[in-house]
Amino acid sequence: MTDDELFDRLRAADPAASLPPADPDRVARFLEEAMTDDTLTESRETGTHHRSPLTWLVAAAAAVLIAGAGAGAFALLNTGDDTTPPTAGGEPTAPESTVTELTMPGATAGRCMVPNAGLLSQAAYAVDAEAISVADGVVTLDATEWYAGNPTDQVEVDQSSADMQALIGATEFEEGQRYLVAGTEGGQVMVCGFSGAYTDTLAALYSEAFGS
Amino acid sequence: MGTEPEVEHPNIRRARFETLVRDELIEPLRRFLLRRTDPATADDVLAETLLVCWRRFDEVPEPALPWAYGVARNCLANAQRSVRRQERVAAKLAVVDSPREAGDPVGSRDDALHEALERLRDSDAELLRLWAWEQLTPAEIATVLDVTANAVSIRLHRSRQELREELGKVEAAAGHEESEGGISSDR
Repeated sequence: MTDDELFDRLRAADPAASLPPADPDRVARFLEEAMTDDTLTESRETGTHHRSPLTWLVAAAAAVLIAGAGAGAFALLNTGDDTTPPTAGGEPTAPESTVTELTMPGATAGRCMVPNAGLLSQAAYAVDAEAISVADGVVTLDATEWYAGNPTDQVEVDQSSADMQALIGATEFEEGQRYLVAGTEGGQVMVCGFSGAYTDTLAALYSEAFGS
Repeated sequence: MGTEPEVEHPNIRRARFETLVRDELIEPLRRFLLRRTDPATADDVLAETLLVCWRRFDEVPEPALPWAYGVARNCLANAQRSVRRQERVAAKLAVVDSPREAGDPVGSRDDALHEALERLRDSDAELLRLWAWEQLTPAEIATVLDVTANAVSIRLHRSRQELREELGKVEAAAGHEESEGGISSDR
């Protein structure tokens, strides 16, 4: 029997040959369980003990917190409906200077969803934009690309009431920097890793969520 | 272009991990484990393996899979050790069946082949599984087992030879089946 024949015979006896793919819910659960682990305290030997779920909170606290009610998950519950979507009508270019106004959510206790294209794709607004000014707690961004929402000339993010460090991760809006920002229907910035300084990783997530 | 933040946002990290697991790891790891243990243990060990991968996410090489097989292998060994411990304490509990008999059998049975594999040393059988079932190259097998690729090539050659011999014996014995009912073990 040649090596190839032996290989084929072994292949044919593979007990997992016709295994159907894992149930997506179970995969999600596996991931959730794994990432419950707190990497910041990874000193224990790579042994076999499961971590306490409370480590989650430590990681979540470093990020931002969203009271994720049900399916919406990232829609925050604070602040009123003080923001309005941009001009109606779906005109790609507005005649006068238009602004999309977003607010930062307040720091609300809760937990983050893992950023993923599925959730991100539900964003009402999503832009690739440069911060052109930061004044009085309002960041003005000049969008170079609109992934979602009716394009307006500018995007303003009112961050006056927000703890930016907490909300966006270690990133604060700074003039001249490039950001990817997503907002909900209610005009709130999606935080928890859904918005932040431009990185290839985040850009890839945006492309996946809104890409053609 | 934008500046890359010094510290990756925890949730970006999660997203990267999730992508890696979904795209590259989860299905091969499931198969790897179901080839070697019963479904319940495979599930537990898969969870443990992903936990270790997450904890050691910064060390994950490219490509990740052979390394992850190595993690799974260690986790499985740990689980089996602890099962053996439990069995010593509560000898009645047969938690783990012999791997291939466990659960709903998938794939066609080639009893002679399984028998022959069973008769090899564990390390030889494992090499052959990694070669034919996981379809790894010697270099990848070396990563899984944490040995050199050269050693893998040599041992793989020998293991194939031994499998052929055992297979011959098993089939010969099956030939005069019932006559003696036994297969002499020679090692």
